[in-house]
Amino acid sequence: MTKKVDLSVTFCGKKLLNPFLLSSSPVSNSAQMIERAFAAGWGGVAYKSLVSDRISIPHPSPRMHPYHCGDRRLVGLQNVEQTSDRGLKPNLLDIAYLKKRWPRHLIMASIMGFSNQEWADLAKACSDAGADMLELNFSCPHMTVEGSGCKVGQAHELVEKFTATVRSVTSLPLVAKMTPNIADMNEPALAAKRGGADAISAINTVRGISEIGLDDWVARPNVFGKGAISGYSGPAVKPVGLRFIAEMALNPELKLPLSGIGGVETWIDALEYLLVGATTVQATTGIIHYGYRIVEDMIEGLSDYMAGRGIGSAAELVGKALPHLHDTGAFDVKRQGVAGYDLDRCVGCGQCYIVCRDAGGDALEWDAEKRRPRQTQDKCLSCMICSFVCPVSGLIAYREMPAGWKRRETVTLG
Amino acid sequence: MDYSENFGKMEKGFDLDQAAAEAGRCLLCHEPPCSKGCPAQTDPGAFVRKLRLRNLTGAVRTIKENNILGGACAVLCPTARLCEKECSACGIDRPIRIGKIQRFLVEHSWRTGFRVFEGNAAGKAAAGKGKIAVVGAGPAGLSCAAELAKQGRAVTVFEARPEPGGVLRYGVPAFRCGPDFLKKELADMRALGVEFKCATPMTGKGAAEKLLQDGYRAVFLAIGLWNPVRLKERQKSIKGLFTSLDFLAALRRGEFKAVGGFFEGQACAVMGGGSVAMDCARSALRLGARDVYLLYRRSWSQMPAEEDERLAALREGAHFVLLNQPVGYLADKKGGLKGIKLVRTRLGGKDSSGRRKPVEIKGTDWVIEVQAAIEALGYKPDEDAPSWYPAVASDKNRLILAEEKDCRTSRPGIFAGGDIIRGPDLVVRAVRDGKTAARSILEYLGQEKP
Repeated sequence: MTKKVDLSVTFCGKKLLNPFLLSSSPVSNSAQMIERAFAAGWGGVAYKSLVSDRISIPHPSPRMHPYHCGDRRLVGLQNVEQTSDRGLKPNLLDIAYLKKRWPRHLIMASIMGFSNQEWADLAKACSDAGADMLELNFSCPHMTVEGSGCKVGQAHELVEKFTATVRSVTSLPLVAKMTPNIADMNEPALAAKRGGADAISAINTVRGISEIGLDDWVARPNVFGKGAISGYSGPAVKPVGLRFIAEMALNPELKLPLSGIGGVETWIDALEYLLVGATTVQATTGIIHYGYRIVEDMIEGLSDYMAGRGIGSAAELVGKALPHLHDTGAFDVKRQGVAGYDLDRCVGCGQCYIVCRDAGGDALEWDAEKRRPRQTQDKCLSCMICSFVCPVSGLIAYREMPAGWKRRETVTLG
Repeated sequence: MDYSENFGKMEKGFDLDQAAAEAGRCLLCHEPPCSKGCPAQTDPGAFVRKLRLRNLTGAVRTIKENNILGGACAVLCPTARLCEKECSACGIDRPIRIGKIQRFLVEHSWRTGFRVFEGNAAGKAAAGKGKIAVVGAGPAGLSCAAELAKQGRAVTVFEARPEPGGVLRYGVPAFRCGPDFLKKELADMRALGVEFKCATPMTGKGAAEKLLQDGYRAVFLAIGLWNPVRLKERQKSIKGLFTSLDFLAALRRGEFKAVGGFFEGQACAVMGGGSVAMDCARSALRLGARDVYLLYRRSWSQMPAEEDERLAALREGAHFVLLNQPVGYLADKKGGLKGIKLVRTRLGGKDSSGRRKPVEIKGTDWVIEVQAAIEALGYKPDEDAPSWYPAVASDKNRLILAEEKDCRTSRPGIFAGGDIIRGPDLVVRAVRDGKTAARSILEYLGQEKP
């Protein structure tokens, strides 16, 4: 009995059932898969990237590798995935089928060309197939040919040129997908806008190395003795994705709708992307970990959150965190505080003592008899690292000190 | 003696960190076997996944929509032989502690004020559709009433005792399912708009059937078993001798001093090997009994009580006197209990329940001196229960004849479920019966001519 809230959002003129989309990846490889995702609740899809049939792009094997952190599986995912390994025609037929069978869902065709002509041909073909909009893949991290994949995203004039080419052959909304493997995403995003893009999606995968074999010294995935720096995704990259979306949302020159990608697994992740300015979110690694079913919890969790806070429409949430986002220079540094301890619940592990001594203000003494930390308050830096390692939630919490309170100087030995 | 401290405190449940860590162990199975292991279809596979994906409100909704007594089941279910037995993680090391997670989620919703059925006025709105009567506000009755109310039906629950809850309120010690816990759990019944008529027994000739004549379109009999099996059919009253029913109900009413006087500092005995016997033994210990002897005619492994309940009783200090058959009582001149006569037994061949049968060993009579004793030998239907519903067929043990698959009785329009159709059984199976009966009733009403 979920309370009635409206999860629909309007993205580039199309009203969507909800902001939750499959990103262009193995999870959006065929209509057969995608319609199961739609049945589970996903609001739309960025179809697995299409390339022209002129060259075949075979997949390396194996394609992926997990990054497990301690006992937490798939904190990140490494892949050397390529564009669709199906032919152009079957993919176009699938897009046409989806459009007909699921008219209320967003069918976004992702395309990647290797020349102006290819961009134009693919755009026309997908428009003819009935796609709602096109996502221009300027960001695949595995292309080695100059003028393709993220090499385009890193060369802003190419972004503008290819976008303009596509713009000239189709009236469909264009979503330019950005690579995070750059310093400032606003530059290529503005280039895409100049070329005629209607929206920006970000981020594609971050180039990284998830693991190196200790026996063979080969970065994973080990493709018959060879490794590569390749695309890394999942919960571990969410902070990076949030940053790029926020930076673009804050740019007064850009002013384009945004689709947030990177580490979306739960309704909370999705909500955070909305709050920093994304209108839709896209997911792959979460689905690779748990399956399409995660969308049920995204829908239910976000609906309950909204109902609980009296927010009627998901669209109201877009950008709500932006007014609170500042340069660090804007902080009021006169106000200071400390880590406050509720020692009644302390279990006596002493981790706080270790980290404060080795990485904080050395503000704790250790009562070996009682196995409890004792804080020298005016040495506490309020870095809060003690609270990050404390196994008892809420035992250590930030506490503001009165105006005029002073921290003592660090001891000098020399 | 601080009785409220001894009886009022339930074992501590999980906090959010513990629940999240445990959910983190869940394998998130395809077609979760744990969900198949729950008689009431509470669907642990779904609610543990929801917790894992930080959808806590959704997890609570799954529990409460599937099982209106999700909190009570979480603390009372023998999960080790239901959901947790089926857990795929058993193939790695140990099952996910589903019961503990379920309790956390329900209690979390109470703490945060999240209500699944808030503002649902279904019961009131549907008054025009014709009311349905539920007889008995125990697990089966509550579950049926909630299910019908959710379907927009007006339901009146008739309860003989002063408060709803049945065995949850009067048959289980407060340290397992406390009054505050139950009150919060039952708040959902009110939110669903279910009407309660307490202290309104449907006894007397044809009383239950008369409800149909009074305009109720269907009746669900969930009257439970409230007639204790006695060691001797016509047992004269002895001071200090209780039935488990009287003993546990008196404690739930807070009559600690009146009952406690017989137990505090004394040697006492509990007869029986089931869950109720363990509850009685643990309660007697909480009343300050010096020694509590659990007298059982078979051995440890034949005891029907769950293993964790037996271990809890043992840990708390009960002495298990196994392979001894109580045969009678000794009273002093003032009519107070002085001792229990016992005969030693050995185990013979298997009986119809598949357990080895106790055989008395001749010439081994002995007496255990106790000043108080509790008979926890099981429950059966009231002697005259069948006369309350003459058109409803019962078996020779006076259990109502109704199939578990549809809870229909021999009288169209009257349905039955819970212990009155099966004999003593788990709360969660009574919840399942309530859901089954609700479906059957809706089907029956659908076929009825308008």
